[in-house]
This record gives sequence, structure tokens and C-alpha cells, in this order.
Amino acid sequence: MSDLAIAVRGLRKSFGTKEAVAGIDLEIAAGSLAGLVGPNGAGKTTTLSMMTGLLRPDSGRVVLNGLDVWADPPAAKAVIGVVPDQARLFERLSGQEMLEYAGRLRSLPAAEARARAAQLLDVLDLTADARRLVADYSTGMRKKTMLGCALIHNPSVLFLDEPLEGVDPISADVIRRLLTRFTGSGSTVLFSSHVMELVEQICDHVSIIDKGKIVATGTTQEVRGGKTLQQAFIDLVGPRARGEEGLSWLGSSSS
Amino acid sequence: MARLLVQLKLRLVLNALRSSAAAETSFILSTFFAFVVAVGGFYVLSLFRGLSASVDLTTVIFTMFALGWLVLPIFAFGLDGTLDPATVALYPLRTRSLAAGLLAASAAGAWPAANLIGLLGVTVGLASGALGLVVAIVAVVLQVLFCITLARLVTTSMARLLRSRRGKDLAAFLFIPIFALIELLGQVIPNAAAGGGITAASFAGVDAWMRWLPPGLAAHAIQDASDGHPGTALARLALLAAVIVALAWLWVRSLGRALVTADTSSGSSQLRGTALPLARYGLRGTVAARFWIYQRREPISLVYWVMTAVFMVVVSASTILGPHQHPAVVIASAVVGAGLVGYFRGNSVGLTGPPFIIEALALTSRRSLRAYFAGQDIAIGVIAAPLLTAISFGLAAAVRNLNQAVPATAVALAGLGAALGLANILTVTFAYPMVTRAGSPMRQAAQGYGSHTFGGVLATLAGVAVAVTPVILAAAFTGTAPAAIRAPALIVCSAAYGLALAWAGVQIAARQAQDRLPELCQTAIQSTV
Repeated sequence: MSDLAIAVRGLRKSFGTKEAVAGIDLEIAAGSLAGLVGPNGAGKTTTLSMMTGLLRPDSGRVVLNGLDVWADPPAAKAVIGVVPDQARLFERLSGQEMLEYAGRLRSLPAAEARARAAQLLDVLDLTADARRLVADYSTGMRKKTMLGCALIHNPSVLFLDEPLEGVDPISADVIRRLLTRFTGSGSTVLFSSHVMELVEQICDHVSIIDKGKIVATGTTQEVRGGKTLQQAFIDLVGPRARGEEGLSWLGSSSS
Repeated sequence: MARLLVQLKLRLVLNALRSSAAAETSFILSTFFAFVVAVGGFYVLSLFRGLSASVDLTTVIFTMFALGWLVLPIFAFGLDGTLDPATVALYPLRTRSLAAGLLAASAAGAWPAANLIGLLGVTVGLASGALGLVVAIVAVVLQVLFCITLARLVTTSMARLLRSRRGKDLAAFLFIPIFALIELLGQVIPNAAAGGGITAASFAGVDAWMRWLPPGLAAHAIQDASDGHPGTALARLALLAAVIVALAWLWVRSLGRALVTADTSSGSSQLRGTALPLARYGLRGTVAARFWIYQRREPISLVYWVMTAVFMVVVSASTILGPHQHPAVVIASAVVGAGLVGYFRGNSVGLTGPPFIIEALALTSRRSLRAYFAGQDIAIGVIAAPLLTAISFGLAAAVRNLNQAVPATAVALAGLGAALGLANILTVTFAYPMVTRAGSPMRQAAQGYGSHTFGGVLATLAGVAVAVTPVILAAAFTGTAPAAIRAPALIVCSAAYGLALAWAGVQIAARQAQDRLPELCQTAIQSTV
């Protein structure tokens, strides 16, 4: 197996005249917990979609654990797990059924799928709600269910798009611990996020994307360059705050 | 406050109108239908003049208008921002002034005006004399006020439910009786009336209990005033007014509660089963299990099955109730039934929506794709085959020609196979995003894909009709054979033929899908569920 879990070369994608991803090169070593950060509309979701075989790129190459995603999609899909930005779950299945279904889709034997589903529900603190419809789950419960679906076949590379957005601190902690444990066993995680503190805290590799291009990549220490990641990010992407002179009335007690 | 909320409602309507070409078309159509209801309602009510059952018919129509006000706001809950108290709960408003404003907002718009104008047809159809005319106008105003207050009470007291998944399910389920009623009024009753089975006199006495409901009180007050019984008329109007005041009081109380409990969850119950049924039968069984669960738990799936059954009955309605007998129409019903089963499944990627991504990530080979499409067919087939068979036999009995049951069933089974095959092929080659819009429990083609829906219906119905031609010919040429041999032979051969067509559909769809999965994923992501 290659030491590189994720290798991306010259990845491009345009929608009409808008170039969403403008030639991305990225390398993530196996066993890394890597973060992909960038402002809204930077191209994070488009990049992750192309890396996971869900969106056909205009050009470029994505290799996961030595398997070319677009030359041999079935082989690449078999080794990855994906948690999309919005929980895409079957609303009319219960949490237990949802995880079991995901396991069976991944060719796990029925008994194994059921057993793993029960274990994941337990670790994700969803056992009490396992028989409720996913449609009645909160945002955090959906994210955790989605993570369970992505992990049930034990992928070697896990992609997560904004995994902690809208998730309460307790659920976030559960997810964080699970990801750390997952990479501790040699598997690789790449996730996108807006939350710099989180990326700085748990990632050993960070890439900053802006306007469809990687503007910085390396270990977290290298990208930070002695500053906080938040400051390094703002320095690289540029401040976007507007003048606030027009809000002179704001903050006074009268209306 | 009243002025502000009326302005808010008009602004919401205007903004919806400007949002897209589809919304503009929808607004124009809605306004046109409101005009039709105003003119049509006025005309129909005026036709009752001199009929022996005029007050009975007027009561029925008043009650139907009230039912419309009761049910339609449940559909419009997400569409009309003024219906949901949660939208105003953040502002420091007094309940009474808010209630007056919301009532005024309800009365604004094309449909309340159409309601008022349409019901004024009673001034011609039922009222006579000056007193009758005055009472008719007062009764119509009170009837409209009753409808508005009733609608507000229902939506406000059900706001928590309507905001939840269960409320959306309820709206979908309510679509079933409304759809059946529309088909009854638009197809079945006109056919029966054309055959002489129903006349105006048939409605005499239908308001035996309806007359004591508020709409009945309004209609009978007009009758009493016109017949020279002003005391009874005024007593009925007073009773109606008292009902409106009571409803308004309940509504204001409900509104007060809703303003401080706007965002609580409706909760949910635990399901009984724990294991995914059929999961031990490989990918095919697993996919079949998922689709089977959806047929039971998803209201829209149930609506599709009911629509299929209703359309099959409607196709045969002219022969069941009309003067002319065309027993072979049962076969046409079978073709339509099979075609609709295929059409309703013909864009399963768009219908599945974003969760299709989970499936797409696991569909890594042509074999797995074959299992995926076959699993869907199994889940749909085990429901459709007995349903179409039962309806075919039922319709043959209703047209009093049981000989048609066997060929109709044979056509239904062969047609079902063709429909499932076509549905799988169309799912892959003709996939389009489906969206759920506020105000409608049904999923519709996303903007710009309307022609796909029409094309899908046309392709499926035409494809099924062509595919079942050999079965129809076989049934025709074996008409004189002994029934004991002909019936099982025809049904078994047709079922086998249908299975072969469905199998061919699975093969073709799997081959096509292998190269199109990323595109199908994008269609799924663009959809909403």
C-alpha cells in the first residue's frame, strides 16, 4: 500500500462560467487526521464530492490508497466512507434499520451488519433512540447516524463534510473521540470545517482552500506558522469585514 | 395590526409570484380557478331556484365550502406565513390585536373573495322577497366568517403538529379523500347524471343532519326568511353568530397558548421491529426491504397506490354507472393501473433524493446495480400484483361481466412487468430532480423539469399499452377455449411474460447506470424530500 492515503492532482470543476475548483493538488499521508478549511463557497464540498466519486471532475486525478477514483470507481468506493454536509438519510427508517441497511449495502453479512449497527449506536449514544424514525431525529443525532453509516464497513479513508455543524457539544465530543480512535488504528480522515479551533485541536494536517485553490497545506504547525490557525487563515484568505460606520444606533438602549 | 398583517400577506403573495416563472404560473392559475369558483358557485347556486331540494342542495354546497376551509389551510400551512403563529411569536404583540390582524389577513386574497361572491348565488337560487334577500346576504357573510374562524382555529391549534413530520404526513393522507372527492365530482357523478342515475330530486333530505351544522343554519335561515318565518330565520342566524363567537374565543385562547409554545417538538414513538426484514437475502433482499418499508411508512407511497386504484375505477366508471356497456373497459383500467405503477416509480432516484448517495456509494458493480433494481421491483411487485388483480376482478364484477376478469388480470400482470422494466430504464436515462414545495404534500418535478413528468406518463402508458398487445390478442383468440384451461394458461403465460420484461428492464437499467452514477447522484442531491 502507498504511504499516501489521498493523492489529488490538478482537480478542476466548473459550473457554467464559474470555476468552483481551479486545479487542486493535495497529498495526505495514511493515518492522518486532516482538515480542509476555507470560507463559504471556497470549493470544499465540490472538492470532497469529486474525491469521493459523487461528482465527475472536468479534469484531474484522485488516488485513494493507490486506487484511482475515476479510473476504477467501484474499487475506490469500497474503501471509503463519506459523511456529506447535510445528513442524507432515509427518513422513514429507524436509526437501527438505517445503519443495518448501510451495512448490508456494503455487503456485510446480515448478522454482522446488525451487530455492528448495535455497537455503533451504543458508541454514538443512540441506543435509546434506535427504534425511532430518523425523520424525528435532531441535527446532532442525524450527523451521528450518518457517521455510523460511513463507518459500518470499516473504511480505510473517511471523508466528512462539516461533521460538527449544528451538533451539540456532547455529540461533538463523541464524534471527535471516534475520529481520533479511528485514525489511531492507521485509517485516514479528511474533513472540511469552518471551526478553526476544532481543526487546530485535533488535526495533524491542514489544507486551506480559497476560491477553488489550495493556498496552504502541511502539518498543522507549519500552516499555523507560530500564530493561531484562525489568524493564519485570516492572513491567507484576507479579512472580509465591512465598515460598520452605518450602525451608529446599534448598542444604545433606545430604539 | 390588522393593516400590517394584511400587507404582510399581500407581500408574501407578491414575493411568491416574483420568485419564479413556475410560481407566477401557479399564481395566475390559482387566481383563475378562484374566478371560476366565484362565477361557477354563483351560477350553480342560482340554478337551484324553484327546485324542490334547493335548500338541501344549498346546505350541501355551504358545507362543502366549509370543509374546504377546514382542510386546505392544512396544505397551505407552509405556504402562508400568516397561518403559523410561530412566525409572529417573537414580536411583542397582544393576543387580541394579533387575532384581529390574523383574521383580516385570512379574509384578504382571491379565494376568500371568490368564496363570498360564489355563495351570494343564494340571493338568486334560494332567497325570495326583501327579507329573504337581506337574510341571504347576512347569512353568506356569517358563513364566510364561520369558515375563516374555523380555519384559523384548526391551523392554530394544530400548528405544532403541522410544523412536524407528522403534520406533513397528515397533509399527505388528507390528499387521498380530496383526490377521491375530485374524481367523484368530476368523473363519477357526471357519468351517473348522464345515465339518469342521479337527479336533483335525489338530494332531497340529504341535509337531514347537515341542517344543524353552522352552514346548514345559514342556508335554512334564508329558506325560513323567504317562506315568511322571520323569527326562525333570525334564531338560526343568532345561533350561527354564537357558534362563530365561541370559535373565535377558542381560537384566541389557542393563539395565546401557541405564542408561548411555538417551537416545541411533537415527539415521536418507538417502532416495534428492530431488524431489517429480508436483509439475509443479499443486496436484492436488503433493497427490497427498504422499499417495502417505504411503501408502508411513507404517506406519499400510500397516496400513489390509492391514486392508482382510483384511476382504475374512474376509467371503468362510465360503464359501471353510465347507460352504455363496454365490458372491455376493464382491460383499459388494467393498462392504466399498470402504467401508473410504472410512472410513480419511474424516477426513483429523484424520489429517493439525497439519501440515494448512501446507496450509490455502495453500488460498485453491474451485479450490485442489477440487485438494486430487482430489489425495487420485488417490493413494488408484491404489492402491485395482488392489488391490480383484485381491482380487475372487482371491476369485472361491477360491470357485471366476470368473463373480463381473467384477460384483465393477464393484461395487468404483463403490464406490471413492462411498467417496472420501463420505470427502471427511465430512472436511469430520464432522471430528474424532484422537490417538495410548501403547500403541497406531493413531490413535484423541480423547476425546468415539468416536461419530464409529462414525458414519463406518456412513455410509461404508451410502453405498457404496446407491451400488453400480445396478451390482448391472445385473450381475444382464445375466447372460445374452455375456461378451466384458458384462465390459468393466460394468467401464467402473461405473468411469465411480465417477469421477462421486468428482468430485461433490470439488465438494461443496470448497464446504463454503471456509467451514469455520478450524474444520478447530482440529480439526487438536487432533490428534496
